[in-house]
Amino acid sequence: MKNKIAANQYIYHTRGVCPPEIHFKIHDGKIRDLRFVGGGCPGNAQLVSRLLEDKPLAQVLEYLKGIDCRNDTSCQQELAGAIQAVQNGTLDIAESFKVQEDNTPMRSVALIGNLAGDNVALENILEHIQGCDVAAILCLGNLTGDSRLNRNLIKTIRRKKIMALQGETDWQYSQRSEQPDMPNIEPRMRDWLLQLPQVLTFKLNTRISMAFFGDYIQRLPDYSDFEPFALEMNMVCGLTNFMQDETVLPALEAMIPQFRVDIIIFSQLKKWGHWHIAGKDFISLGPASDANGLSWGLLEVDDEKIEFKIMQAEYDGG
Amino acid sequence: MAESVKVLPQDIQDIIDVHEWDMRTREGVQRFRELKAKSLPSVALDGDLVYESLIPMQAELIDEILRRYKEKNQNE
Repeated sequence: MKNKIAANQYIYHTRGVCPPEIHFKIHDGKIRDLRFVGGGCPGNAQLVSRLLEDKPLAQVLEYLKGIDCRNDTSCQQELAGAIQAVQNGTLDIAESFKVQEDNTPMRSVALIGNLAGDNVALENILEHIQGCDVAAILCLGNLTGDSRLNRNLIKTIRRKKIMALQGETDWQYSQRSEQPDMPNIEPRMRDWLLQLPQVLTFKLNTRISMAFFGDYIQRLPDYSDFEPFALEMNMVCGLTNFMQDETVLPALEAMIPQFRVDIIIFSQLKKWGHWHIAGKDFISLGPASDANGLSWGLLEVDDEKIEFKIMQAEYDGG
Repeated sequence: MAESVKVLPQDIQDIIDVHEWDMRTREGVQRFRELKAKSLPSVALDGDLVYESLIPMQAELIDEILRRYKEKNQNE
């Protein structure tokens, strides 16, 4: 019997080699869209990906045999291990979007939306946040934009270990499919953007929160309406048009009992907003900087009461 | 809502096609918006939104289906 495997995406966590992850798809027993992510030699890795594209798994495994690089392994051996893990059923199919869960209960979180590569705005906002008592800082996409400072902004986020979520522009950069007039960024920056979560869940006291950028997630390959948190995204993006269509709020209210989360935060609209409907809070983040200066959101929970404030800061330079 | 349609008598079932949309899905949401519906559950007949937020009595639903059926077939 022919070993036919449906088109599925896999993410394999490597050991002992430079790239921490290998991403690939398998369709009809052939490998596709192979990518070594997060380290190593991007040029060589890209060549390997091109050479192996659409090759049958058995042939790929033959090519990968006996290549040693470091720590008694190599990217090729790791890829062989990944394929074998798929074949013996020990590597699960990756979900169509990446969810990161943080289960540490917090009392407050600072929310920054749409930085679009403005590192000066980020530095200024971080300074302003320092004066407030916040447990965590979360930057929702877009992190990158039409800015020469994309690289600096990514470096700041990494250096300060700020939680970050991927936006649509970040996704395009990660896929090398950004608009042609956008500034180029290095392959390792693109890899970093690819590895970002697309949905983040966290706890504010006992209230479960989810944050995401917007509707590009619904257009990701293999997106399923029945994955965790897809319902909330479908309702916010599709049904209510990011809470802009008030006529459908009765329908939203009817769907809310099926929600997994209590607070839903998004940033695609680039407009500040807070709605409280049927016991759930919906928060839209405005841009980090505009003509009025800098803004960020302070989300706090006191007992079980949610409070959301838009904080204003001055733009110093940039 | 679909249950009330599924239990319609066979002679009514024979003259209708029933489609149920799941509001959890993007397809369901799209159909909901096309119909310009506002609340759930909603029933559309021939693409017209007829019942919103309420489940009609079976007799009322049958009357409406038959009225539309006769209207469409009066020239045949």
